[in-house]
Amino acid sequence: MTQYIQDPAVWGLAVGAPLAVTAIVRGRRTAKRLRKEQSELRAHYAGLEHQYSASVEDAKLRAEEETKSALKAAMRTLQGLAGEQQLVISKLQGKYGESAILQDLMEIDHMNSQFGRRAQSIAVLCDGWLGRQRAVASVYDVVRSAKGRIRHFKRVEIRSQTGFAIVSRAVEPIAVALAELLDNATSYSAPETMIEINIRSVPKGVCIIIDDAGVGMNEEEKERATGLLSGQRSSGVAGLGNPPQFGFAVIGVLAAQYGFNVSVDSTSPYGGVRAVVLLPDDLLTSMPEAKEPPVAAAPAPAPGPHAGGPEPTAPLATTTGGLPKRRRRGAMAIVPDPAGGETGGTPHRSQEETASIMGAFQRGTRSGRAVPTTDAADPGNPSHANSEGHGVQ
Amino acid sequence: MIDPGEQEPEAAELVRPYVITDGRVLPEDDRFSLITLVTASADHEQRMARLSPEKRAVLELCGGGYLSVAEIAGHMRLPVGVVKILLSDLADGGYLVTRAPAPRATLVDRQLLQEVLDGLQARFG
Repeated sequence: MTQYIQDPAVWGLAVGAPLAVTAIVRGRRTAKRLRKEQSELRAHYAGLEHQYSASVEDAKLRAEEETKSALKAAMRTLQGLAGEQQLVISKLQGKYGESAILQDLMEIDHMNSQFGRRAQSIAVLCDGWLGRQRAVASVYDVVRSAKGRIRHFKRVEIRSQTGFAIVSRAVEPIAVALAELLDNATSYSAPETMIEINIRSVPKGVCIIIDDAGVGMNEEEKERATGLLSGQRSSGVAGLGNPPQFGFAVIGVLAAQYGFNVSVDSTSPYGGVRAVVLLPDDLLTSMPEAKEPPVAAAPAPAPGPHAGGPEPTAPLATTTGGLPKRRRRGAMAIVPDPAGGETGGTPHRSQEETASIMGAFQRGTRSGRAVPTTDAADPGNPSHANSEGHGVQ
Repeated sequence: MIDPGEQEPEAAELVRPYVITDGRVLPEDDRFSLITLVTASADHEQRMARLSPEKRAVLELCGGGYLSVAEIAGHMRLPVGVVKILLSDLADGGYLVTRAPAPRATLVDRQLLQEVLDGLQARFG
């Protein structure tokens, strides 16, 4: 044992061990403290990060709101202008209905409709104004109206009609949604292909089926579309992408707001997309019987210009629209009847005939002046009225 | 849709004229003038189901007898050019019979009228 005491290594050990122990203990303590500090720091950092992301989110929301309200106001102005312009174009179309300008006016009208629709779509995403409420309109008319709002409307063919109509508050939103679907359908299919629309009544309401012959959508696109269409994932204006894809986002908002259903996850018989719009019963109403009549009934005094002609004497038959049906005789007054060339035929008289007619006329006036005026006070006598204006022989 | 209470100017028609004509252009041949008379052909009613509402309305209007193009346009409240396109479609489909207006110009024979006037003046003047 003593030889060990002489050994400096043992001494070294004896001194070194406590030192080492102290060092280890101290090291452990430091590590512990550091760990504690680290976790504190981490917590602090997480807190900061949370706060930061919350304020970023907040700022984003606020910015989005501000963008929305600014866009909404801007779109409102544009929509108003498009509407005004449409009215002016309508008036011009009436005024120059007969001239070649009409064709150009119709083209301008078409562009104006597209312009108005674009503004409406943006307005929809900004919770803005959709335009004036429309009167109840047939499903067919709403589909046609939608068709008129896209560029390549001539490629859209509506193959069926129904007896259903859409309630007034839903006319414009459904037209905008359909226009977006048709825009997609025409954009993603070859220019020479047709887009087919079928309208079918189903137990749950009315289905509007839009089939295109385009390239279709892959699973990812379908998933995104379904998300947007269900209205659950509202991207707002910011999430439209670049170039912005309005279609499904707009439709999704409208569908959620007005309670109709749009799906695009099936394939059309032509290999493209089949979009199905299901309008539930509460957006539908029966066809306004007076669809044509208000058009027709208003110009009831229209026969005015013809008042100088034969006055109707018998109660006239009317069309279902309440318009007086013109009787054959009256309308044909200035047309030579091919069967009996006698009635009303003014043209192609020989000079002798004309002379004899003039002679008869002259004799008539003479004898008329000779007779005392007993019956003359009754010009409205139907038997007279009936013959005036006709060529009489 | 948010503020429906606001007062708005009247809106134009829902279905625009270019949609009614389906973007077609009036054929160059001057088949229809304002006073061309048209009437529905005898068998039009059996085949009306696939026609657009406007075409059906036209057929209904002139189903009772001959009507002029101008009158139809007035009743339909559509531009005359649009009505002409519809009529030309209907005529092509055999739904309509047209009849050219009587050639009124031949009636105006100035010399004859002058002779009549002379005769009348000689007789009564």
